[in-house]
Order: sequence, then structure tokens, then C-alpha cells
Amino acid sequence: VQRSIAVAACLLAWVLLVGTAAADETCNSPYIAKLIKGQEDYVYVWTLGVEGVGDGSDKLVTIDVHPKSKTYGKVLGSVSVGTRGEAHHMGFTDDRRFIWAGGLAEPKIYVFDIATDPARPRLVKTIGDMADKTGYLGPHTYYALPGRMLVQALSNTRDKGGVTGMALYNSKGEFIAAYPMPTEGGGDGYGYDLAVNPKKNILLTSSFTGYTNYMRPLGELVKDPEAMKKFGNTMVAWDLKAMKPTKVFSVPGAPLEIRWSLNPADNWAITAAALTSKLWLVKQDQGVWQAKEVGTIGDPAKIPLPVDISITRDGKGLWVNTFMDGTTRYFDLSNPEAPRQTYEKVTGKQINMISQSWDGTRLYITSSLLANWDKGGADNEQFLRAFAWDGKELKPAFEVDFAKERLGRAHHMKLGSRALKSP
Amino acid sequence: VRLRAAALAAWLIGAAAPVLAHDVTPLPALDYEPPAPGTYTLHRIMAAPDGEVLDLDGRPQRLRTFTRERITLLGFVYTTCVDPDGCPLAYRVFDALRHAVGDRPGLRDKVRLVTLSFDPERDTPAAMRAYAGTRTTERGLGVPWHFLTTRSSRALAPLLEGFGQDVRSPRGLSNARSRSELSHVLKVFLIDRDGFVREVYSSTFLHPRTVLNDIETLVMNP
Repeated sequence: VQRSIAVAACLLAWVLLVGTAAADETCNSPYIAKLIKGQEDYVYVWTLGVEGVGDGSDKLVTIDVHPKSKTYGKVLGSVSVGTRGEAHHMGFTDDRRFIWAGGLAEPKIYVFDIATDPARPRLVKTIGDMADKTGYLGPHTYYALPGRMLVQALSNTRDKGGVTGMALYNSKGEFIAAYPMPTEGGGDGYGYDLAVNPKKNILLTSSFTGYTNYMRPLGELVKDPEAMKKFGNTMVAWDLKAMKPTKVFSVPGAPLEIRWSLNPADNWAITAAALTSKLWLVKQDQGVWQAKEVGTIGDPAKIPLPVDISITRDGKGLWVNTFMDGTTRYFDLSNPEAPRQTYEKVTGKQINMISQSWDGTRLYITSSLLANWDKGGADNEQFLRAFAWDGKELKPAFEVDFAKERLGRAHHMKLGSRALKSP
Repeated sequence: VRLRAAALAAWLIGAAAPVLAHDVTPLPALDYEPPAPGTYTLHRIMAAPDGEVLDLDGRPQRLRTFTRERITLLGFVYTTCVDPDGCPLAYRVFDALRHAVGDRPGLRDKVRLVTLSFDPERDTPAAMRAYAGTRTTERGLGVPWHFLTTRSSRALAPLLEGFGQDVRSPRGLSNARSRSELSHVLKVFLIDRDGFVREVYSSTFLHPRTVLNDIETLVMNP
């Protein structure tokens, strides 16, 4: 019995400590007008530095993904930021000229120019005032608004717990305002992802946990029952214009990535709760926004751990990556009230991020979750794997071995195009 | 060959002709109830930049002349733009606001509209005058609408940079419909009396009702 409890505790800890990632070509902010709807040329990979591997620093890696290129499937270069801060997510500015990226272990935001030469991003600015201006730590989601960037943090500098908020910057990197996550009316104050539906003037946020948990060694955490309680169980609807919370939803089990359907006729969003392995739908019911459980991912008893989702451009399908079993699943979302799994494939020993091209025929998958929680030994594969999807089968296209290339742990991805070059 | 050349020339001329009559039919109603004016905060996003512009008579002016003392709604356009979610949308919204603001005595002397070209090569003062039509001379509504351009791309560049307004030529873009088409993200800027940008609208958030609410909010809470 003790062994069973220990195993369960470990699995739960894996679940709770997941730091997943979000966004790809179908999951960008609706304010980004320059979506790549043809063949992408590059995949930018925000990569965690590993001590003793290369320079050991976090870096933005550029990979050539154009099938007709002589360097198809090869690393074109990388830009190191000179420190190791648990690189995690990134996001485009509204004009898609810059990528903002950051780490969960520090309050810094790195700004890369990808417009001057899309094949060779340059680090052009480091924004270091988030902690001083807001008290927030661990910038996570970077969501473009017109002329601005809304940054969702995961933690705070006061106690490094999960109570946090959003920081608003202008696109030049100058701080504008802070918006704390609600701690009243059922709110737990935690944050994770954010996503906007401008047609309805609604912003949705989800919730995870703070620095003291996501950076803490697993062995310590599972022995600390109080710490194990400190994970998010809520989503929040905000009046986007007013930036005020309007409703807190009870969504147990750390709801993570949020995806609004891109179908113009739809006004619903979907998310996956990591702890419970459930899909949740957020939509209006007789004019009132509601969140309800609509599906199950794998066998929750086996803790498959959904860590990233990617919605198709028509809102009819959803890819789900589960870390523990290294499985990529496809759900038919024709009826978002009842998602139905129609395909699955093991795509790695550990997998995290999944990004798809606009037409859905190309998928990219990376391996790393968090530096301290990636698997060990031979299971610690670090890669970007590309696949072709014909609607029936995922077929391998190429792979970049991030360990062999001495780059680090491959995490978040964004697509690039040479056609987006601008002065 | 001559016919082809003539056809090509005619096509190019036609493609680059200013759009004189944008659609000004009313936009669909909002699909949500926006917050009431004065119940929310419009933060200072950034200072509006200054630089030299040309009025419809070709006279050089400072842009700050058109971004101070009144609440200003400023949008970049180019007159050959035909993307319905681009410049024509801004034109429709500006036209609707001209009437909505003009109908409110408490607002009409506090607001101006500014349309600034980011295509100085084609949008000469004469082209802008043709584009403006009667909009600048219909004083009855009481809301000034200024149509401006610049002397050159060099004069325009610091304004684009200052506002964070990107624009690219179609070269290399497979989806550009003609050589006169410029690629840009539509942005409209709401500027307070002191010259600070307080809101930026893209096509997905640009609607006369929300802009009017924001103007009223700035009047209530400068």
C-alpha cells in the first residue's frame, strides 16, 4: 500500500509540476495579422540551456523547415541570451517583427528581431523591470494586443507562490499596467495561459502554480502536503476592454492551454486540465459564460498528463500531447460538446509542445517540459520532430537531436517565413 | 507586344488609382455590451511622435499640431488600399464617428480625425485631396477631419517608427494583389489632449461604438 501511495504521489507530482507551453500558427493572438498560411521556412525553438552542454545558456534556435531547401531539417543558427533561466514560452508582437521570450526562473523578457533577417534572429532588447513594476515572477504567456503585449506571469517575488498577475507593456517594451489575478469570488489568484475573443470582448485565463512548486525538486515536493495543495483550480473570464474579472469558473486540476475556435461562426474555447486529464469547454449558455467538462484524454488513472494542445484552423480538430506516455492524440471537435479521439501515436519517450502549420498538414513536436522534471537516462530525449499529416497517419519528416547538437532542451516553437522580412 | 504593354500600363495605372469612394455603410452592431464610458481606465500607452507632414495644400506642418489640444483619432492609410478589413474599414469608422461625435454638442469641439498616408510616393497632397472628397469641407458636422501626407519615405519613417506602425512593399509577398498594394497591420490610434496614445485599435476591435465610448471616457477622465 505504501508503495502504491508513493507511486501515486510521484505521478501526481509529475502532473502538478508540469509547465507546459502554448501557441502555434493556429493558436496565435487574433491581433497578429500576418499568419503564415503557406509553407513556413523556419521553426524557432526556445531552448533551455543545460549546464555543460554548449554554452549552457538558454537560446533561440532556428531550424530550416522548407522541404526544398538545401538545409532542410538542419539548424541554421542559435542566439544565446547568456544565462540559464528556465526558458519556456514566447510570443510574437502584433506586427510579427519581434518575438518576446522569457524564463520561469527570472523576471526577464528577451526581445528578438525576426524581421530584419528571418533566418538569423537577433537579440535586441532585454526587459528587466517586470519584478520592480509588478512584483510578478516567471513571465509565461506573451499575447499581442494592438500596440501592446499582455504578459501572464506564474509567480511573484514576495513569496514565490502561485498568486500572480498580468503585466501590460507597449510594443516597445515600456511598462503600462499590472492586473492581479482575482483572489475573491472563488478566485485562487493563480495564472497560466490567456486567450482573447475580441468579437465577444472576453479574455480567458487559466491557472497553474508558483515558483516554489514548479522549480522545487520533486522528491521534496511530494513530501510536503501543504505545497501539493497549491495548484490552480480555476479559469477566469475578464471584460477585455475594462480588464476586469467578470466570472470565476471552477475547473479542477490545473487548466492550462486555452484555445478559442478560429471558425468565425464559433464563440467557444477549449482547454485541458493536466491533473485530471479532462477537456473543458467554455461557451455561452443563454448569454452566460459557462465552463463544463466535455471529454477525457487517455486513461486519467494512468496520469497521461496533457501538456499542450493545438486546434485546427476550422475548429474541427484538436491535437493533444501527453508527456508521460509520449503520445500524440487527435480529437474530432465537430461537436465541441463531445470531443471524440480518432487517432493516437507514440511520438517520443517524452513529448511536450505541439505546433501545426496553418493547413494542418505539418506538425512539429518538441520534448522538454521543465529542466527539473524531464525524464532521466535514455528517456531524456531532446528533439524537434517534424511530421506530415494526411488526415489518417502521422509520418516522420525529419528530426533534430538537440542533445547531439549540444543545444539543450527543446521547448516552445514559433514558425517563421522569409517573406516576412522587413527593414 | 504593344497591346500587352498598353494593357499592362493601363492595369498598373488602374491598380494605383486612389480609392475615391470608400463604402460608408454602417458596420454591424457589436456582439457584446461594452463597458460604460468612464467605468474603465485608458492607460497612457506611449507618446505620439512628432514630425513634418504636408496638408492638402502641400504646406509643411508639424504633426503635433494635429495631435494636441483635442482628442485625436489618427489612422494610417494609403489611398489605393482595397482590403475591406484595412483602410476602407478605418474610413467607414471615421465617417461614422464624424456623425456620432458631431451629434453630441459636448464632444464635437473636443475631437478631431486625422488620416495620414503611409504611401508618400503616390499619395501626394493632390491625391489626398481627391481621396478626402468633401469630407474636409463639410463643416456643418463640426468635427475636423484632416487628411495628411508626407514629403518622402524619409520624412514618414520616424512617424511610423514612433507609432509602431509597420508597412512593407509587396515585393516577395505572394498574396499581394498588385504593385500598389502595401502590407500593413491596420492600426488606429486614440490620442489624448496631451499627445499620449491611450488606445490602439486593430481591425478586430475597431468599431464606432467602442471608439465613441473611449472618447467619452477620455473626456470624463483625461
